[in-house]
Amino acid sequence: MLQPEIRCVEFVETVTEWMEGALLEDERLALEEHLVICPHCTEYLEQLRLSVAVLRELGTDDEPPAPDTRQALLEMFRRERRA
Amino acid sequence: MDSQIDDGAPAETSDIDPGERALVAALRAGDEGAFAQLIDRYYTTMIRVARMHVATREAAEDVVQETFLGVIKGIDRFEERSSLRTWMFRILVNRAKTRGEREARTRPFSSVAGELDADERSVDPERFLASGRWSGFWAAPPSTQHCPEARVLASEAGARVAAAIDALPPAQRTVITMRDVQGCTSEEVCAALDISEANQRVLLHRARSKTRAFLEQYLDERTGVH
Repeated sequence: MLQPEIRCVEFVETVTEWMEGALLEDERLALEEHLVICPHCTEYLEQLRLSVAVLRELGTDDEPPAPDTRQALLEMFRRERRA
Repeated sequence: MDSQIDDGAPAETSDIDPGERALVAALRAGDEGAFAQLIDRYYTTMIRVARMHVATREAAEDVVQETFLGVIKGIDRFEERSSLRTWMFRILVNRAKTRGEREARTRPFSSVAGELDADERSVDPERFLASGRWSGFWAAPPSTQHCPEARVLASEAGARVAAAIDALPPAQRTVITMRDVQGCTSEEVCAALDISEANQRVLLHRARSKTRAFLEQYLDERTGVH
């Protein structure tokens, strides 16, 4: 078996750059070759994607502004657009 | 290597989505509902971004209010060469930095730079083999299990995941919230935090790595692996 160019320990550090399309061509190929031979890193990638998907499901930011802050901003909008 | 320019100039590309174009039109027409939408969607993130530059929650609230005022006053002149979000966050970061400088604080740099400088590993080094032919390969790989769907996990453990995100260092928390929770582009995040594409990726990487680790632990508990 050929020794792949990157190992798992490097895979986990470069995977975001790969997902972001920021790797150079040869780095990208090395990472993709590693994925082909390594079920564990494939699982790792699945978990990363799953966590991104879970965050996407959360969808909204945490607490909204306090009602009077929100009201004050809306009033500002009304006032300014009228002017 | 890094082809993205981040010199504060408007972005060259214009791939404004139709929903956003409608939102801009509604804001120009004085549609209060459209403005309310903007508040509800971005207020908390804007506070969070502002807090990276100013000392107090009160100061951050002022900065956010000034930003919304800037948006209202400037919307007619907004050229749609960048997304509405990018534009809005540029206004925000400019005001927040001015305010922060007036307060004579250097928080943004110390906080973002501090997070970037820290030497962090994405996975506990002990989980890789330390010697032999397979050194650097998994010793304790992530366990393969039948993964539930994201939707199921979100309803089951959404609050715990949100708490894990909240516990991240400020810059990482802001980046992952904007990118993965709100679906902002990297360009928008760079504009908001006034950081380079490369640094944005480092922060995103660290935040996602930690979130994955949290999720892995949750999945293991769920299936009784440990």
